Amino acid sequence: MNARDLATGFAPILLVVALLALVPLFVSSNTVLNFLVFTLIIALAAQGWNLLAGYGGQFSFGHAAFFGTGAYAAAILQVNLGLNAYVAFLVGIGLGALVGFVIGYLSFRSGLRGSYFALVTLAFAEVLRILANSAGFTGGAAGILIPLEVSAWNFQFESRAAYYWVALALVGAVLVLVRAIERARFGAQLVAVRENEAAARALGVDALAVKLKAIAISGAITAAAGGLYAQYFLYLDALIAYGPWISIEALLAPIVGGLGTVFGPLVGALALHGLSEGSKMFTGEIPGIDLVVFGVVLILVVAFTPDGIMGVLGRLRRRLAGSTAKSTANAAPLPAREEPAA
Amino acid sequence: MSHTNPSITRRTLLQGAAATAALIGAPAYLRAQSAPIKVGILQPMTGALAFDGQQGRIGAELAIEMINAAGGVNGQPIEPVFGDARSTPEGGTAEVEKMQAEGVVAIVGGFASPICLASSQAASRYDLPYLVDVGVSDQIVSRGLTNTFRFGPGFGKVTQQALENLVKINEAAGNPAKTVVLVHEDGLFGSGLAQLLQNELPKRGFEVLQTLAHPTPARDMSNIALQIRAANPDIVIPSSYYGEFVLLARTMQQQRIRPKGIYAVLNGAASNFRFVQEFPDAAENVMDCNHWHDPRKQESQALLERVRSDGNVWTYNIPLNYSNVKLLADAIARAGSTERTAIRDALAASTYEGHVMPYGPTVFVDGQNQGAAPVNTQVQGGDIKVIFPEDFADAEPVFPVT
Repeated sequence: MNARDLATGFAPILLVVALLALVPLFVSSNTVLNFLVFTLIIALAAQGWNLLAGYGGQFSFGHAAFFGTGAYAAAILQVNLGLNAYVAFLVGIGLGALVGFVIGYLSFRSGLRGSYFALVTLAFAEVLRILANSAGFTGGAAGILIPLEVSAWNFQFESRAAYYWVALALVGAVLVLVRAIERARFGAQLVAVRENEAAARALGVDALAVKLKAIAISGAITAAAGGLYAQYFLYLDALIAYGPWISIEALLAPIVGGLGTVFGPLVGALALHGLSEGSKMFTGEIPGIDLVVFGVVLILVVAFTPDGIMGVLGRLRRRLAGSTAKSTANAAPLPAREEPAA
Repeated sequence: MSHTNPSITRRTLLQGAAATAALIGAPAYLRAQSAPIKVGILQPMTGALAFDGQQGRIGAELAIEMINAAGGVNGQPIEPVFGDARSTPEGGTAEVEKMQAEGVVAIVGGFASPICLASSQAASRYDLPYLVDVGVSDQIVSRGLTNTFRFGPGFGKVTQQALENLVKINEAAGNPAKTVVLVHEDGLFGSGLAQLLQNELPKRGFEVLQTLAHPTPARDMSNIALQIRAANPDIVIPSSYYGEFVLLARTMQQQRIRPKGIYAVLNGAASNFRFVQEFPDAAENVMDCNHWHDPRKQESQALLERVRSDGNVWTYNIPLNYSNVKLLADAIARAGSTERTAIRDALAASTYEGHVMPYGPTVFVDGQNQGAAPVNTQVQGGDIKVIFPEDFADAEPVFPVT
């Protein structure tokens, strides 16, 4: 990889992360920081989904399986086995990869794809939810509580800003990872499998191995989001960890932000949650109206920008770049892989 | 424009703006003398728990209305700052942050245990007193958080009381019931309770014939009803949410399954007037061990009348939130300031009796009100009556039913 590649590929990530890292220096409001931390956790989970679905074309409806595994591992290893929080967090990431591998092995080996794969992942997440709800070591339906002992050693911080930086660092690391994958042979193989699996096979791509690798990495990333959630809110039950809400959040952010783009999940999560908070602010005291506004805007966004916010930014950039680019931009059929003009 | 109005220069405008900003940004206590006391009312107003959240808010609003009508607290009115927890713990946490930014002196509510756990913890970062209205998980008051208080009973207390009361009601009737079938939803209340009852009932002379679990939501209770018919127990103990229990009670009625008693614990329907009004025949004589107001107190009757005249349904959320807000107002009055630590200490030392629950004087130990206890209710003649303990009862138990 030459210097120019580095500059165009990784410089925007560094720039965005560096700019975001400055936010707590100007914003002291914990309301805003709390919102940002939660949004970054979602962005992290969404990036995991994006790697498998956006790049690999394997649409999962059950990323809660990974999120919950990461979250429960972080909590159970600390509470029941007395492990250090950071060790528990890392083990959780490993277990997320393992769960991803197992689900992938069982479903990809059976040749499940498209909506069948989506349904199977949904079923796995539901099975894990029901097991976690009835098992003893997860705390059952009463849930599991990580004791509140604020110290950096326990992965618990006094200030919301510290959580924010940790979450941002993880998001930044994953952005770099996804960019590196995108530029590597593995990324090209993944996209080839997405576009036409039979053709990819004919070219010598081991589709099963590529998909398994993708789902394991995807599981690890989303498990990291789960572990972070557990450390931030310190309480889990089966519905939080394995509930369908996180599967939806994880797929909604990349779809809105831009499927199969490095920044898509982050941009999507920020836009969605920003919109949600914004509509809350402007609709006042009537409960639920903000959700109506949110829903309407979401429908409009999806209807008018089918390739997500990153696609719109890409088209804008090309339109600005000149008339020659304009004609190709309008004809672009696939999710754009362009980066913002950051 | 500045040429036409030379008296306002850029500098004076900036000075004015800075002064305004400083005033707005000043700590709440500097302005407290003239400002109302802000209290956070946190409830799940949207999402799966929206009904309970709305009920809780009604109770809190009525208490604030009454306190303000009587001249407020130390001459200052209470101003509610409403928050929607969206039925999720992170929704609750976000609202706590907002309420903190708005300068509330305490927060009341939460309803569900996960919301209460996360929100009270977020509030503890600011030493913000948090009064849990319902959340029965015993973890809420076992974390050593000094800001968290629970006025109502926890899960352990409710289940223990339910068991004791069942034995007493049975004894008083001459021990007609010997066999039991447990029906429970597979969540926090149901599973935990079923386990406890399975262990404890045999020690008290009951035989547990069968334990039947069902998920929430469940759309059909025919199988459960048929299994109950086959087991033919003296008592059915259901622990389910509203929809499932209504379905079970109706199915049992249709299939003419008539045990000597239906004894619900923390049931979503048995102490709910909606169930009683919509299915009076199925509801008749159903017993429940749950949160309930003290029917002998005049104030609770007045509150109930008021809620009904407003066209609302009466559920236990209303008197619990009503009492919590009054308890908080009393603590603020005794603290003599809106300083958080002072309010917290006043709450911890509270002996408040002016609530509408059957708890007696308030005594907090590690944040849990020691007097808090559930009562037994029974649907009698289309009304919900308290049948046990005798001290608070306004009716005799009808048992055995058949």
